[in-house]
Amino acid sequence: MRISSNTLFDSNVAAMSQQQARLLQTQQQISTGRRILTASDDPVAATRVLDITQSDAMNTQYAANRGAARHTLSLAESTLQSVTSLLQDVRTATISAGNGAFANSDRQTIAAELSGRLQELTGLANSTDGTGNYLFAGFQSKTQPFVDTSAGMGYFGDDGQRLVQVGASRQMASSNSGADIFIRIKNGNGTFVTQAATANTGSGIASPGNVINPALLTGHNYQVDFTVAAGVTTYSVTDNSTLPTPTVLSAGNAYVSGQAISFDGMQLDIQGAPADGDSFTVAPSANESIFKTISDLIAALNTPLASGGGMAQLTGSLNRGLNNLDNALDNVLATRSSLGLRLNEIDALQTAGDDLSLQFRQTLSELQDVDYNKALSDLTQQQMYLQAAQQTFAKVSGLSLFDYL
Amino acid sequence: MGSNLFTSALSGMNAAQIGLATTEHNIANANTPGFTRQEVLIGSRAPQSFGGSFLGQGVDVVGVKRIYDEFLTTQVRQEQTQASYLSTYHTVIKQIDNLVADPTAGASPAMQEFFNAMNGVANNPESVSARQTLLGSAQFAANRFQAIDQRLTDIANGLTSQIAGSVNTVNTYAQQIATLNGNIKRAMASSQGQQPNDLLDQRDQLINQLNKEIKVGIQTQSDGTASVFIGNGQALVIDEQAMSLRTIQSASDPSRVDVAYKSGNKTIPLQQSSLQGGNLGAYLAFRDQSLEPARNALGRVALGLADSVNRQNRLGQDLSGVPGGNIFNAAVPRVDKGAYNTGTAVVSAAISDVGALTTSDYQLRFDGTNYTMLRSSDNTATNLGATLPQTIDGFTVSLAAGAAAAGDIFLIRPTANGARDMVVAINDPARIAAAAPMRATSALANSGSGQISAGTVNAPPPTDANLQATVSIAFTSPSTFTVTGAVPAVVGAVAYTSGQDISYNGWTVQITGTPAAGDTFTVTRNTNAVGDNRNALQLAALQNQNLLANGTTSFQGAYGQLVGEIGAKTHELDATSQAQTNMVAQTVASQQSVSGVNLDEEAANLLRYQRAYQAAAKAMQIANTMFDALMSLGR
Repeated sequence: MRISSNTLFDSNVAAMSQQQARLLQTQQQISTGRRILTASDDPVAATRVLDITQSDAMNTQYAANRGAARHTLSLAESTLQSVTSLLQDVRTATISAGNGAFANSDRQTIAAELSGRLQELTGLANSTDGTGNYLFAGFQSKTQPFVDTSAGMGYFGDDGQRLVQVGASRQMASSNSGADIFIRIKNGNGTFVTQAATANTGSGIASPGNVINPALLTGHNYQVDFTVAAGVTTYSVTDNSTLPTPTVLSAGNAYVSGQAISFDGMQLDIQGAPADGDSFTVAPSANESIFKTISDLIAALNTPLASGGGMAQLTGSLNRGLNNLDNALDNVLATRSSLGLRLNEIDALQTAGDDLSLQFRQTLSELQDVDYNKALSDLTQQQMYLQAAQQTFAKVSGLSLFDYL
Repeated sequence: MGSNLFTSALSGMNAAQIGLATTEHNIANANTPGFTRQEVLIGSRAPQSFGGSFLGQGVDVVGVKRIYDEFLTTQVRQEQTQASYLSTYHTVIKQIDNLVADPTAGASPAMQEFFNAMNGVANNPESVSARQTLLGSAQFAANRFQAIDQRLTDIANGLTSQIAGSVNTVNTYAQQIATLNGNIKRAMASSQGQQPNDLLDQRDQLINQLNKEIKVGIQTQSDGTASVFIGNGQALVIDEQAMSLRTIQSASDPSRVDVAYKSGNKTIPLQQSSLQGGNLGAYLAFRDQSLEPARNALGRVALGLADSVNRQNRLGQDLSGVPGGNIFNAAVPRVDKGAYNTGTAVVSAAISDVGALTTSDYQLRFDGTNYTMLRSSDNTATNLGATLPQTIDGFTVSLAAGAAAAGDIFLIRPTANGARDMVVAINDPARIAAAAPMRATSALANSGSGQISAGTVNAPPPTDANLQATVSIAFTSPSTFTVTGAVPAVVGAVAYTSGQDISYNGWTVQITGTPAAGDTFTVTRNTNAVGDNRNALQLAALQNQNLLANGTTSFQGAYGQLVGEIGAKTHELDATSQAQTNMVAQTVASQQSVSGVNLDEEAANLLRYQRAYQAAAKAMQIANTMFDALMSLGR
């Protein structure tokens, strides 16, 4: 084929400039560390990089969210830890107050101690997160949730639980409402509550009782009345909730101290010697706040013993108080275990999140980072090609017939 | 007989001299662009009858011809116009390729930052500093969208002047070709059909240059002139007359220029898609097929983000207990009236559903009775009937004033302004509606195990007028409840199923567990709820939801699609333009192998003609010697 002299130059120049462009591209890849310099270098990978970068950023954000959740959960947990030991102290004090040898003044001393504990508890229930936000106020985090009112301790928060996005598909509650922790505590045994009438003069003390057949429960108010005639103590059970008139379930039952009294799926016993006309009520359990339980204990301890049934009244009150304190402790411990579970889950999510993050980084690196081994070898190769092209060009272009004329 | 010797030798010397001159011309023009090597055509003279035999009379130079292959030249031209089209397209599209996918300058990181800040507010709704950060990142996102759009506008403006420059170049070449046509015509007429080789080369070279600007068709006439055609056969040069192109404001979109054809005093708009190949074709194709679609796609992401965030924020309640408003000012669609409209109609458009928006432009046409909407991306026409407003593809067109006349057109670009007009509408961090406007509570005295969920506000906005009215749900038995406070009032008992949606006054809650008779639950105004983050969580969750393109992609996905499309197009152009450049190099090499100058060959020719000249001169010397011998006989 006939070759035009210009073609010789043109094609060599074009080839060399192509080699140079490739060399520059490789050099840029090496100097930036990125294989994809613009989207056009690898459009599919570039789009994937954007997607994965977003996923990675979101994963990092979830980690930050977990940090925030862990902070508030830990605060709540340590506050509730203090509440637990406070309640245990109150419980010990209450047990000691049952000592029959104590004088009124001794009980008043214990009552004073309990008053201090009550204030401490109010303080704990009104804990803040350090920036003035109440931990147990629901959504109303700037409103003090527990305030003493003339009608007892009032709750001014709400049932709101703040959720935190701790994972791509997991929202976790980072708070618990104060009502759930301090107020919604069933009194009695959780189903019903037994109480001696204040006018009782005998020494009968009712046990908290228990449910023996849930299917028979009615949720009614009952009354157990004692009659002592000719040295024989009998009792009757009346359902006060039937309308229009109360129904007497049984009457004239012989009373033996400590023997089980059962009706409508419930069972309780009464110990001691009830006097004629003494009565005990059995009512469905209601919510009783920890504050009320402790206030009631304080009130009972501050009341001087009346003659006759005074000691039985006190023991009844203390027993009921202890029972309610145990319920409160159970409730606080249940909340704490739920907090602990959530903290554990956060740790598990954190590990999973770290793994995921590592995976994202790895994929990103595979997609966009330059493989230095390959890039450097490419660079050497391209350099060699360019040098070869330059040297041969110089030789070939030097060949001319005119040199010999 | 004696004079014959001299004539023969002289003709030989003449031919050799012309050969030498042509060779030197070739050597001198070896580097002249468009030059075609020339060759001397020689032939022996007619012989003389001499006593029964024929005696040669020497040599004649018949002409000087250029070694030219019409087929190869046309092929070079065809490949060349495509090559300059592709490489110019590649050069201009690289500008946006670099822009959109930049890991720090693209819109992606700005959107991520916005949603990260939203999570910050969800974690700490009462924190003013978290809210301030969110406002800052909203501003940042809006600025980023605006900046990218501004860059696209800069590129579009640059393109307008590049188109004008290209049109000028075309006109200049056309004028020069017309002048050369005249010269060639006269030269051929005066030389009895001999070709003026160098003039032809010059004209070919000009046509090649013109062809790099725009694809042309050539027709050579018998008088030697070449007619040049562009587009759908519009004549650019005929004989010695050159027509011209000019840029005019586009009839359908006043913001861009169109290329028009000027014939005499008349300006005729050209169908832009008919102008193919070359730089001009690349500019026009880039603008209509890459730049404006990119702007629309970017606008759709911005619009989608702004609108979705606004809608969710309007469902919430802000830090001061007021229902949320808009966080962003979202753009409105752009409507341009056709330049040749005769009616008085003013048409306006509004976004009705960002999820249904496409990235296409639309043309609304009125035929005198009915309106037709033409979607440019796939040329789908939809008959809208005789009256407006009508809704299509997520936007509503309405007749704001006047009346349309038959033949009126309106260009509607629903998302074109989306990125440019995205503005943060609030500057008070308290206005971010992190809370929900209502809350559900259960009475403290409830004895059953029933629990009520926090509740959600029903989408879409506007919210129900009675949303914040207090509604009590009182259980009359574990399986029925009554509702007071709902609008309209609920009469009688409602059956209860655990976990079932209970929805009144624009909110929805669920109650689970077994409530006891007498238990009550209340849904009420969410006062003092500075710690409520329910709406902020929903706002943050928008990041992951497929809200665009009829629920098929997220904001990030839609943006990634834009990056992918631009990247793929650039990648394709990179490959094809390189292939085409190689193709041109190959065809040019084969064309040059015929027409190009080879210096070695010319050097050989120099020797050949030198020898021929020397030989002819020697013959003359011999003749002279013979003549001398003859003359000396008489002494």
